[in-house]
Amino acid sequence: MKISYKWLNDFVDVADISPKEIADKLTASGFEVEDMQRLDEHLHDVYVGRIDKIEKHPEADRLVVCKVDVGFKKVQIVTSATNVFEGALVPVSLEGADLANGVKIKPTVFRGVESDGMFCSGQELGIDENYFEGAGIDGILILPKDLVPGTKIADALCLDDVVFDINVTPNRPDCNSVVGIAREVCAIFGKKFKECDLTYKTVGENVNNYVSVKVETPNCPRYLAAYVKNIKLERSPLWLRSRLFASGIKPINTMVDITNYVLVEQGQPMHAFDYKFLDGHKIDVRQAKANEKIAVLNGQTYNLDENVMVIADASKPVVIAGVIGGVNSCISESTTETVFECAVFDVRLTARKFGLRTDSSAVYEKGVNINNPTTAMRRALHLVCQLGCGEIVDGIIDVCSKKLGDRKKLVLSYSKVLKILGVDIPKNKVVEILTNLGISTQLVGDVLTCEPPILREDLENENDIAEEIIRIFGYDVYNDAQGVVFENCAKTIGQFHPRLVLENNLKNILVDEGFFETLNYSLYSSTACDKLLLSQDDERRKVIAIANPISEDLSTARTLMAHALLLDISFNLSVGNKEMRLFEVGKTYQPKSLPLNELPVENSRLSFAVCESGWDFFRFKGVVENLLLNFPIEYHLQRSGQTYLHSGVSADIVTTDGRVIGWFGKLHKTVLKNYAITQDVFYGELDVDFLASLPEKQYATKEISKYPSVERDIAVVVDENVTNEQLLSAIKSACGKNFLGTQLFDVYRSDVLGAGKRSMAYKITLGSDEKTLTGDEVAAVIKKVLKGLEFRFGAKLREV
Amino acid sequence: MKKQLEEILKNGLAQIEVAADLKQLDDVRLKFLGKTGELTTILRGMKDVPAEERREVGTLANSVREQIEAALSQKLADLENEKLRLDMEKEKVDITEPSTGTKRGALHPLTRFNNKFMELCVEMGFTVIQTPEIETDYYNFEALNVPKNHPSRDMQDSLYITDTILMRTHTSPAQVHAMETLKPPFKIVCPGRVYRNDDDSSHSPIFNQFEALVIDENVSLKDFMIMVREMAERLYGKDVKMRVRPAFFPFTEPSIEIDATCQMCHGKGCSLCKGTGFSEFFGGGIVNPKILEMSGIDSKKYSGFAFGPGIDRSVMITNKIPNIKYLFRNDMRFLKQMR
Repeated sequence: MKISYKWLNDFVDVADISPKEIADKLTASGFEVEDMQRLDEHLHDVYVGRIDKIEKHPEADRLVVCKVDVGFKKVQIVTSATNVFEGALVPVSLEGADLANGVKIKPTVFRGVESDGMFCSGQELGIDENYFEGAGIDGILILPKDLVPGTKIADALCLDDVVFDINVTPNRPDCNSVVGIAREVCAIFGKKFKECDLTYKTVGENVNNYVSVKVETPNCPRYLAAYVKNIKLERSPLWLRSRLFASGIKPINTMVDITNYVLVEQGQPMHAFDYKFLDGHKIDVRQAKANEKIAVLNGQTYNLDENVMVIADASKPVVIAGVIGGVNSCISESTTETVFECAVFDVRLTARKFGLRTDSSAVYEKGVNINNPTTAMRRALHLVCQLGCGEIVDGIIDVCSKKLGDRKKLVLSYSKVLKILGVDIPKNKVVEILTNLGISTQLVGDVLTCEPPILREDLENENDIAEEIIRIFGYDVYNDAQGVVFENCAKTIGQFHPRLVLENNLKNILVDEGFFETLNYSLYSSTACDKLLLSQDDERRKVIAIANPISEDLSTARTLMAHALLLDISFNLSVGNKEMRLFEVGKTYQPKSLPLNELPVENSRLSFAVCESGWDFFRFKGVVENLLLNFPIEYHLQRSGQTYLHSGVSADIVTTDGRVIGWFGKLHKTVLKNYAITQDVFYGELDVDFLASLPEKQYATKEISKYPSVERDIAVVVDENVTNEQLLSAIKSACGKNFLGTQLFDVYRSDVLGAGKRSMAYKITLGSDEKTLTGDEVAAVIKKVLKGLEFRFGAKLREV
Repeated sequence: MKKQLEEILKNGLAQIEVAADLKQLDDVRLKFLGKTGELTTILRGMKDVPAEERREVGTLANSVREQIEAALSQKLADLENEKLRLDMEKEKVDITEPSTGTKRGALHPLTRFNNKFMELCVEMGFTVIQTPEIETDYYNFEALNVPKNHPSRDMQDSLYITDTILMRTHTSPAQVHAMETLKPPFKIVCPGRVYRNDDDSSHSPIFNQFEALVIDENVSLKDFMIMVREMAERLYGKDVKMRVRPAFFPFTEPSIEIDATCQMCHGKGCSLCKGTGFSEFFGGGIVNPKILEMSGIDSKKYSGFAFGPGIDRSVMITNKIPNIKYLFRNDMRFLKQMR
């Protein structure tokens, strides 16, 4: 919130403290001053001047030469302005001035006539018509006659002030006001809080004769109303306007300005009704009825329902309570009598309904104390008196459904407070700090008794009081805190997270294989399912939708990993990166039911892809095998069921108990097109959670035979549909106990072999633990192998 | 005879010396030591030497033979070495040509930072835990002292799924899960992704945090600070400077924000730290006793501190990454720089 230095000075004497020091200390005590702006930053070297004489410019018809008295000297100004006249008081910028619009002033010669400076318009001084009469015209600002030439324009315009923009944290709603911040400044600098004047004179009579108030909703714990008649709606005095201006609020007229003034000063939103438009002179605070309508001051008309709290008169809603006034009852030029409202509303239901926020609703959302309206209403009525802009009728209507708070008493342990801080602060210092914060404090032995001010609802326990003490004492004591780490803690043994360790192992394998790790958003557009050709009944089409997404691209929690890597590849190709191996470890989110009524299954998965020349299915398969090498599982490959993979060049990885733990293969050509990828891509995915659930792999090595092994190569011609796996298993069983290993080393197809046939060449390693195999024994085994292959698969020994 | 032998020695050594290859050297060997070689011939003629000279001449002849044989084998070794040298010379490569074979890829800088930090935490006695990214309102807000309608919720624009389920806005729910399931004293740390309804040039809607919680008897804000200093020194070096500022978090009281020497400019002041020489390191504080009680921990006996920063900024600073968007863009030109 924006607060002026001069306003602050009403409540705490800060004349001897520089704005910079106030800002620094406020920041250090928890009220971050995000910005500090001098209102007169661009007003130096500008003075009130009186035009004594205006003469025609000898060389230019459109210019005049003015002799001007700026108090401490006489100057000559050449101007083209047409609204100046002899005797007029005007702002004169002299050499050195640096105006709000960026113009820097220096003496200039206009067609042979010297000009010492320039007259200024309101715009050039950074003000408008709302702020100062005449500032809005297209011409020079003509100043009021009572000003003295030579006065600094900043003083004349009441802009000799500094504005602090303060970030008030949510736990301190009491500080969304000038008085709240002033109390903090008092505590920081050990100054006394100056109470403001709440006195006012009334003209007798009784408010109840004019207006009645009924509260019919629990969302309004307190409602105060006062009645003011014979009001004079005019421009507020400059000092008041300047404060609203400093807080970024547009001055309008006395009544509206008073409500805004109280909002900033007391942190209390107010409203002023035009009495004559209050049907039945009744105020009814209630939830709106279905189909009620209201046209409000921002130009909108809303259809209301029971979620919206309104102020209604006898026939219709006149205000959306605590948020915005209706056009049918607001203060206008014709207003002669007004009802002031000063209330506490819970506006959150309303705000959520409309998403409409105003200065007033923002304050209510942060929290207005139930005790606040009493002071605020009296302050408003005082201002009416002070400004002489109305006659106040006796009495304030006060409808209050809650007990007004008493000051609470906290009985705390002093040693516990110090234990929280770990810093030794002398007793008298503790008492002094708390007392300066307005907390009545007594310290007897270890018993610390604190009575916080009624507005400090946030103070409840030792921790709260500890924070109050240290933020005023200064956090600097911790800057160089020295000591042994965890000196006062029990020893604990740290542990890594098993899944994260496993993820790292997998990541490192892929890095060794030349892959780069990516990081992708885990939210995506649900169109991913279409782009990846998922069948309509695929479980993964059941996606969790974000109720308030940032964009369509981030509108659902992903159920598929492939989308992100394909987008990455597509993006990289589009920027000219031609070759890449990428991977990601991330989560998918599969709902157990929709709409979501319990948390979904979060599944950590590893996805990896290659978009590079020189790769085929088998090279990619090698990567998969390396990834799975260190797990105690046996698996086999099946033709993949993933719709986005090439049906002939892809595989599901299936464990012996039939669980699909991943898949890999070439991407489906349509999918490539959907992602505008023009090269082949190999993609694979593994279920990391499953792998993390496995026990550690155990190793049991066998004794190595003393006798040499022998190798024999065979090549057989088989039908294309006979798989390597089938042949391997047949070779193994035929070799019996002499089998040491076998490996496919060549696949050959040719016209000579015939269509649908291929030659498969295997190296077979044979051996025995008991002896060296003789040539005859080896030959017998190989013969058995060939017979077996022929019998089971019609395999013929290759002769060509 | 003696003279003849001396002549042979002289000629032999000279011819061995000039032999240019193995063939020539073998010719020399045959010429002197072959069956009909000069020295062989002389040795055969020893029987004709008068008896009184035979011994002397014999000694000389043997010496000559030994010298020639030694010279031959020396020369043979020299010639073989020379041949090897020449062969290797022919195999010489341009050592500046590029390497072949698989070149390693790289981990994402975030993973590197996370790993480094988790190692540090485990060393200091923390157990790494993981909790859900899709959370209930209770764990994300209520159990952290942010009841419904509390203004603190405004600080974190949430991505909601239903009225009571949302994408977690911070890793702090891990605190609640830990307090509900672990028996104090304990130290936990939870790294993970968090989500906000916020997407502009300096904010990413998805980013990374970690949350750490220490629950024990007798811990103070000073203990917290000492631990944070240790972490900063291990991450950034012994000469790191720290600065403490007040802060507000609903779940800690008192709460502080701790800055450390800006690692981009090393304290000199840069655009990242807005010239202050410090950048945000950790935020945290003493766990609000209300939270302990809510999660079933006796606040009379136990206290604790909780802290957790955004990691992405630290990753940016320590890797001098110019734009936060690089972290999720996965541009090969960026990723390759992480090798």
